[in-house]
Order: sequence, then C-alpha cells, then structure tokens
Amino acid sequence: MDKEGKTRIRVLLVDDEDQFRQTVARRLERRDMRVAQAPDGQACIAKLAKGGVDVVVLDVRMPGISGIDTLKTIRRTHGEIQVIILTGNAAVSDGVDGIKAGAFDYLAKPVDIDHLANKIRQAWEMTRLETARKQEAALRNRLEQKMVDAERLMSLGTISTGIAHEINNPLAVINESAGYMKQILERPALDGLDEKTSLAKGIEKIENSIQRARKITHQLLGYVKKQGSDVAKVDILLLLEDSLDLLHLGIEDKEARVVWQIDPDHRFIKSDPYQIRQVLINLLNNALDALPQKGCITLSTKGSDKTVCFMVQDNGGGIPKENLNKIFDPFFTSKPFDQGTGLGLFVVHRILETLGGTVSVDSVPGKGTRFTVCLPRFDGV
Amino acid sequence: MIKIPVKLLIVDDEKDFVEMFSLRLSGQGETVHTAFSGQEALEVLETTPIDVVILDIRMPGMDGIETLARIKSAHPMVEVILLTGHGSAETAVQGLKSGAFDYLMKPADFEEIRVKVERARQRKDAQEERIREAEARLMLRRIGDI
Repeated sequence: MDKEGKTRIRVLLVDDEDQFRQTVARRLERRDMRVAQAPDGQACIAKLAKGGVDVVVLDVRMPGISGIDTLKTIRRTHGEIQVIILTGNAAVSDGVDGIKAGAFDYLAKPVDIDHLANKIRQAWEMTRLETARKQEAALRNRLEQKMVDAERLMSLGTISTGIAHEINNPLAVINESAGYMKQILERPALDGLDEKTSLAKGIEKIENSIQRARKITHQLLGYVKKQGSDVAKVDILLLLEDSLDLLHLGIEDKEARVVWQIDPDHRFIKSDPYQIRQVLINLLNNALDALPQKGCITLSTKGSDKTVCFMVQDNGGGIPKENLNKIFDPFFTSKPFDQGTGLGLFVVHRILETLGGTVSVDSVPGKGTRFTVCLPRFDGV
Repeated sequence: MIKIPVKLLIVDDEKDFVEMFSLRLSGQGETVHTAFSGQEALEVLETTPIDVVILDIRMPGMDGIETLARIKSAHPMVEVILLTGHGSAETAVQGLKSGAFDYLMKPADFEEIRVKVERARQRKDAQEERIREAEARLMLRRIGDI
C-alpha cells in the first residue's frame, strides 16, 4: 500500500529487449505500479512461482519459450493472474492467438504507456472481482456444508437416541430372562445335569453381549445432561489432570509422554465440569488409542477475550482425509467392532453443541491429530 | 441371616419384561406383584401392602411420572424406583424431585437393582419406625395430660 492507502498493482514485465523493458518499467513505476522484470518466458514462470504478481505484461516474440507458450503455462498454473500481451506492429494474428489462449487483452507495439497502464488497471480489477467472487463462493460453500453437516448430525442424533431407547427395552427382557435362567441353573437340584457347564457358558455369553449392547445404548444417551450438573467456573488444568488420572492405566500401557503447554491466561472456562470431563475423557481416549508405543500427547490452551480453547494433540497415525468429515457421526469408528462404539466423538460434538462450544479437528496422516475445543471464557460472574 | 422378603410391585407395559423380571426377583426370595399400567398399579396398591414399586417411566395412558405422583399422594410411605428405557435422565431427575427413591436405566444390572431395592426398603422401614416412635411419644404426652 502507498501512503494514500491505495494498493499498488504488482506487474511482471516480460520482454527480451532490455532497453524497452526498463523504460516501460520506469514509466509504469511512475504511475504507481510495482514492476518486476523478466527477460524471457522461463524467468517469467520462475518469478511467478514465488508469488506476488497481479498482472503479467508479456511480449509475444521472444527467444526461448514463445510468448504464447508462456501464456498457456501461466493460465494453467496461475489461473488467477491476468496476462496482457504485446505484439509486433502488424501482427494482429498474434493478438488473436493470445486472446484465444486466455490473455486478458493485447496491445500492439509501440505501446502508448497510458494505454498500457489503463489496460493493466482493468486487468487487475478483473482479478480482484474474480478473487472476491471466488472467496464468496468458497465461503458460501463452506457454510452450506456446515449446515448440511449440522443437520445431518442432528437428525442422526435424534434417530440414534430413539433407536437406543427402543433397543433398551427388548434388551431388558433378554437380560432378565438370561438372569432368571442362570438363577435356576444354580439350584442344587440341577447339579446332576450333564450340560450344566455348557448351559452356564451360553448364558454367560448372552449376558456379555447384553453388556456390550448396553454400553452402546447408554453411551449414546450419555450426553444427556447429568443430574446435579451446572454451569460453573471450571479450571481446565484441574479437569485435564482429573481425566488423565482416570486414564492412567492406558497411559502406562502405552508408556506415553504427556506434554503440558498451558497458558495461565487461558485456563478458566464457564461451563459444566461433568460434561467437559466427559469430553476430555473421550478425546484423551482417542488420542491414546491413536498413539504409538512411547508416543506423546500434548495438552495446551489458548484463548481470546471471549473464549478459551484447549487442544488435545497426539502424534499417532492421523485420520485419513476421507474420514475427516465422518468422525463426528454416530457409530463411525476405525477401531475393531468390539472395541469402539463409534460414539465418543459424536457425544463430544453433542455436548459442545448444548454448551455453546465448538470442536474442530486438524489431522495430518502419519503425523498426528489435534482436536481443539473452544468454550466461553469464565468472566468472573 | 434370614432374608425378609421385600414386597415389590413391578409396573411396566412390556409384559415379557415384567414376567421375567418378577420370576427373577421371586427367585431371589422377594414377594412380587405385577401391574401392566399406572392405573392397574394404583388398584394393586389399594388392596395389597407394598414396600417398593419399580415403575417404568414410559407407558401408554398414564405415564410413570403421573403414576408416581398419584402413588406418592395416596401412599406416601411406599418407595418408588423409576425404570427408564431411554436416556431421559432429565425425566428421571423430574421423578426424583417428585419423590422417587432412585432410578435405573434399562437394561439394569441385577446387582444394582438388588441394592437399590434393599435401600428403598430400609428407608421405608426407618421412616415407619420414626412414625411409630412419634406416635408413641404423642400417646405418652396425651396420657401425661390426663
């Protein structure tokens, strides 16, 4: 930006005639543009790779890579940069070829400098409009995607809690029936029964399966507000220590290292400690599962005026890109069927939704995953 | 130790559940009565002495919460344990506020049921004991007045 606050257009001038190029560059600089120079197509493309160019002014007739080929390369690799081509005096066909190849416009040499400056400004304006349009489209896209995600999660949530409820009832019948059979089997009168052991084993298997199903349904319903919980001043540090205590066995098994990066300025939130602890446990559990032996979990906090965020980061295998938008779905899991319910992150998402917080994920396959949870800052009331 | 049977009433519209649950509790030595609706439960309570009611929250017609309120107003000494098939801990909390002793989530762990039933019965016994003592004191005072 110059002192009047206008953005200076960044021009790359490509011409093999040094004299001509330097004169034009000087004159354009005088018209408030920032001009870089390149003597041929190859140098031009190398400069573009470094960025910082809005508009290219390109001579068609050059040794080495021709102007038209250079133009084609620019259009292919830097679609956002506009190109104005300069043609020889009589060669209108060059100009037509250039426009066909995607140039913004062409000017015939010898160029009138004001004419060129105007064209550059027009081209730049075009770039700006296009960029703005693209940004807007991308933003709209993201918002729409977010809304779709939220809606889908919400309806999946409603459906799955409904299903959990419906499953609990027959499960209770199975549970009581198996329990009753076990009771009968323990009667001394049945001691002589040949198949007593196998029967007892069968019943035990039924009971274990009920426990497994029960774990799923109860976890699914687990985000529902617990009794006696309330919004209060919550010390993230203490909650993290609590949760780590609860998971100490898993940490010892993995010989995991825990690295603390707690910013004392961002430590207290205003939330429901029980539910946040659930969130922490779920996130830490996932981190532990992802961790290699002797891996490392990094716990950190950051924040702003209104929010405090805590991050749980592991150096595990990361989440494949195609799974990233599914991890908050109920029943989505990459763990073996009898180990993960696929509900941990779903519950995390639901809890944060009800508490007015957010959860986001960054993951690099092979490097690790970081979950960031943001919640309202404790404001002293 | 001789087990004193708890006089139980199981209330749930899920007949299979009631049947198996009562068989199991009877097998444990409890005295079990059953009802398949809130209305039926109130009728049983009119004619039968009951210590503890195990009451499903979600039932067609009169739901568990309403049944609970009516039980507590007509038979304040009877303890009620709520059974919930869904995660409506919220409803359970509402039930606890209207006088339920505790709640259980279906499918409940039998040991947990046993413990809660026992505690509910103990509370009822203690309550009745206090009432008896109070009545005795009242009687003594009246005698003293003469």
